[in-house]
Amino acid sequence: MSGVKAIVKKELRTYFYSPTAYVIIGLFLLIMGVIFTKFVAIYHQYNAAQRFGQAQGITLDKLATYLYQNMAFILCFVTPFLTMRLFAEEKRQQTLELLFTAPIRSFELVFGKFAAAYLLMIMMVALSFLYALFMILWGNPELPIIASTYLGLLLALACYIALGALISAMTSSQAIAAIWTFIALLMLWLLQSLAQGLTAKLGPIELGPTLVYISPLGHFNSFSEGLIHVKDVVYFISFTAFTLFLTHRVVESNRWR
Amino acid sequence: MIEVRNLTKKYGDRMAVNGISFTVNRGEILGFLGQNGAGKTTTMKVLTCFMAATSGTASVAGYDVFENPLEVKKRIGYLPETPPLYLELLVSEYLSFVADLKNIPSKQRKSRMDVVLEQCHLTDVRHRLIGNLSKGYRQRVGLAQALMHDPEVLILDEPTIGLDPKQVSEARALIKSLRAQKTVIYSTHILSEVAATCDRIIVIDAGKIVAQEAINSLGATGAVTKTEIIVQKMNDQLISAIKEIRGVKNVHPISNGANRIIVESEAREDLMAEISRAVVNQNVGLIRMSPVHLALEEYYLDLIGGRRTTT
Repeated sequence: MSGVKAIVKKELRTYFYSPTAYVIIGLFLLIMGVIFTKFVAIYHQYNAAQRFGQAQGITLDKLATYLYQNMAFILCFVTPFLTMRLFAEEKRQQTLELLFTAPIRSFELVFGKFAAAYLLMIMMVALSFLYALFMILWGNPELPIIASTYLGLLLALACYIALGALISAMTSSQAIAAIWTFIALLMLWLLQSLAQGLTAKLGPIELGPTLVYISPLGHFNSFSEGLIHVKDVVYFISFTAFTLFLTHRVVESNRWR
Repeated sequence: MIEVRNLTKKYGDRMAVNGISFTVNRGEILGFLGQNGAGKTTTMKVLTCFMAATSGTASVAGYDVFENPLEVKKRIGYLPETPPLYLELLVSEYLSFVADLKNIPSKQRKSRMDVVLEQCHLTDVRHRLIGNLSKGYRQRVGLAQALMHDPEVLILDEPTIGLDPKQVSEARALIKSLRAQKTVIYSTHILSEVAATCDRIIVIDAGKIVAQEAINSLGATGAVTKTEIIVQKMNDQLISAIKEIRGVKNVHPISNGANRIIVESEAREDLMAEISRAVVNQNVGLIRMSPVHLALEEYYLDLIGGRRTTT
């Protein structure tokens, strides 16, 4: 396991030595901040209107659910920037030779890379707890829902990062890795809407439920509504594990060409 | 220490290494000589477990590179053709990452680092960004990386490329200083380098070993020797007189004003005496007569003779 530690240490160092980590975290917080303010403003409007009996109010919990569902979507855009360099840059700089000829196993390498990007992601998402804190200070949200949302985020982000790592292992260009990771995440995310749209147009289709199941959207949404289903947990963990397994195979395949 | 048997590696349809076999003894410095694309790097990549061979076996210190890569990797320090450096790290940070990777116990880490920095003359630049270093320094950081865990075997792929003459001689001195402590395989296409540092050479061409021998036996290869004769006056009788001597194979007069003759003959001392007598009898004023040692360069070009292409 010392190999994993070495890789994580070096990766985190690289993230924070270049502007990457700061820029990404800054942008993420900026976008989330704008969305949060907007949501709070809407929340106020509705509640003011409700006081005069003109409209139905929304609860703070609903607000939190929407906020975190948006965040999970925005993180699709953020992930590629964190994962693009994991393997692509090693290939370009020809440093894979160092890693492959050092006495570490290739799964330690893959897991170390994954863990480093995942840790950075968790640090970033932890900062978003600020919004929850505001809600707790000035409102009365259901704490268990927030807790299950964060659990859902942790699980979903593992999938994102693993997928990003896999794509980064397939190319030696960071730009290509970033674009494909983004496309892949977006496609996965939209799969549910696609299935629902098709069903609405063509009636029930055979693949419909499968498509919905493959998309992380539904799985995450139940977490953000405070529901922890075993099937969702299994989905996220198996998705991550399988993607990391594929990454390991792809990385290993470099040795056979 | 290192044993390679019938090693073959194909890239798709292209044969990069074609069934080569050799052994390297403990403490030996082996020069691995060949043109670009001859298969040097591929062989090294297989030995360092970076790549799997298509067929054949290789073992380092008794461990098979395929069956037991971790044990092999622990014993090998490898400097690839392009030093594997992270340009965004400081020299010291890079080396401490390498120390982590190679799992050097934390107690020895600092002393190892100091030793290696000293060995590779990097102490002055330890706090500089690798990205800001010149090619020569980067090459040395790469070498430091290979030496970090004090491996028994060093595999160096063209380690002196891009160094200035002073650095080249320092690098050679460093490699020579490792003699007897470490087993070194050292690839290059610079011939003088091999002559200066190695105990033995292997010449590889188009994926096959075309020669392997000890460096000091190189000059006397084959039964043919060349003798250079310089005279005051050149004439045809002289040439025919030498040609008549039994054992002389060929006589090349070189008449670019120097009155030189190159005689190819069997390598026998009495033959030398006979040739000198013939020259003196002709009364052409013998100025010099000396054996021409088959230079490494010539030997090398002879070996890969017909295959010379523009690379």
